[in-house]
Amino acid sequence: MAMTDRMASENSDRGILSSAGASTYFERRRSARIRSALIWSAAALLLFWCLHVTVIADTDWERIGGRFGVLGSIGRFLLLDLSLLPHLIIPAIETMMMATLGTLLGCVLALPVAWFGARNVTPSLYFFYPVGRFLMVLSRSVHEIIWAILFVGAVGLGALPGILAVAVRSVGFISKITAEAIENIDPKPVEAIRSVGGNQFQVMYFGILPQIMPVVLGTIIFEWDINIRRAAVMGLVGAGGLGLVFFRQMAMFNYGGVTMVLLAILMLIIIGEIVSHFARKAVT
Amino acid sequence: MAVLEVRDLRVRYNNTGPEILRGIDFSVEGSDFCAVIGPSGAGKSTLIRCINRLVEPSGGSITLFGEEVLALNARDLRRMRRRIGMIFQEFNLVNRMSVMDNVLSGRLGYTGSFRSLFRLFPRHDIEKALEILARVGLSDHVNKRADALSGGQRQRVGIARALMQQPDLLLLDEPTSALDPKISRDVMSLIRDLAREFDVPVLCNIHDVQLATEFCNRIIGLQDGIKKFDGPTETMKKSDMELIYAMEVL
Repeated sequence: MAMTDRMASENSDRGILSSAGASTYFERRRSARIRSALIWSAAALLLFWCLHVTVIADTDWERIGGRFGVLGSIGRFLLLDLSLLPHLIIPAIETMMMATLGTLLGCVLALPVAWFGARNVTPSLYFFYPVGRFLMVLSRSVHEIIWAILFVGAVGLGALPGILAVAVRSVGFISKITAEAIENIDPKPVEAIRSVGGNQFQVMYFGILPQIMPVVLGTIIFEWDINIRRAAVMGLVGAGGLGLVFFRQMAMFNYGGVTMVLLAILMLIIIGEIVSHFARKAVT
Repeated sequence: MAVLEVRDLRVRYNNTGPEILRGIDFSVEGSDFCAVIGPSGAGKSTLIRCINRLVEPSGGSITLFGEEVLALNARDLRRMRRRIGMIFQEFNLVNRMSVMDNVLSGRLGYTGSFRSLFRLFPRHDIEKALEILARVGLSDHVNKRADALSGGQRQRVGIARALMQQPDLLLLDEPTSALDPKISRDVMSLIRDLAREFDVPVLCNIHDVQLATEFCNRIIGLQDGIKKFDGPTETMKKSDMELIYAMEVL
């Protein structure tokens, strides 16, 4: 807005200054300044109001108790509880497996969703296409913790609800990217497979799949990487893994143990980064 | 006896659009190498694609090997398509598959879904593919990815794929447009030799009139969806060309 104003003024500077238009030009310029000043002050007021409501009025300042109180609270987390180490190994493996199985199951579930939700291959543009698109949105619009709560309610405590939650949460992203890849394929090989008398399955398997494979594999690896993070917090609602240990240590006010769990999660994520880096290199 | 007989063929994209083909009649004999020439937008590609129903005609009739193509159901259409080899302007290979898999995909019409899932092509198909690849001069490139080849080589893969079908008719859609003049001539003479060898009639749309007169024994001239010329190559005169292209041909 300001940019276009300035450019307009530069253009008009050349010829109009001497003419009768000059005074109206300066008036317009002044009113534009006043308007922008008003807008900025309104924005500042709004920001201050937000700060007041959410932070200044809503915080228990007494409880923080000065600068050293904050540092002290953080300090408690730094005294690592190394005795917890042996009890972290199994949950860490469980978290990794939850992420991996969840991602695999998510891929399987994403397959029909992507098929329904890709305009050029959907079985029906008026029924299956909207259904596919709706499932994509549904999967992503519900947080993984909410999915986990739902599945803990449905199948009980343990790793299974975690796997299901991770899987269902992954479907949206994988199927959306896959559907978009399908919509962007080169139609020429598809035409060739149709012309040799290939059936619907062969057209997809030979004409479409090879073209979308790099994108789909890359997406799955990326999703697996994210799913390690998701699986790590599943235990907070009773769905197993490191999250459950975290929850217990927190409940026991064993802050050193909490930090141990966080470090374990960090380790897993670093491992995930390294593996996905090399896996992604291998597929492209 | 005509292999292919087309009567009053009409095509209209989106029911309300203009007619692309406006009543085309012609037939192709068993020994024909028939060219379809005409300016861009005359409907050459559409015409070729109607024969195997990659494009759905809106009227008329196409009789191929004594069967009415337009009356076939999906299953019979696939059975019909596997008898028609097609070679494309831009080769239409699956780039991320090997040359061998591309050539073998010519047999998909004869391969069940389950077998094709694991690319379990019968041994004699693989032997046949090796033989054909040797014939088109690609023996050294069998296991390369299709996108690693040059244009001329890729079109040879396209030819090999069409031959794998052991076709009873070859459809060529501008097979040389993406190639340089020398390679174009090589590819055309390879196709001509193979068509004779395999005793297959060819219907070829091509915009290069010189190539058409050099390689084809019959020419069909198309302009704006209407047939303007149909006859043996040697009977085509300059005035016919001017009629087809609606311009002065030097």
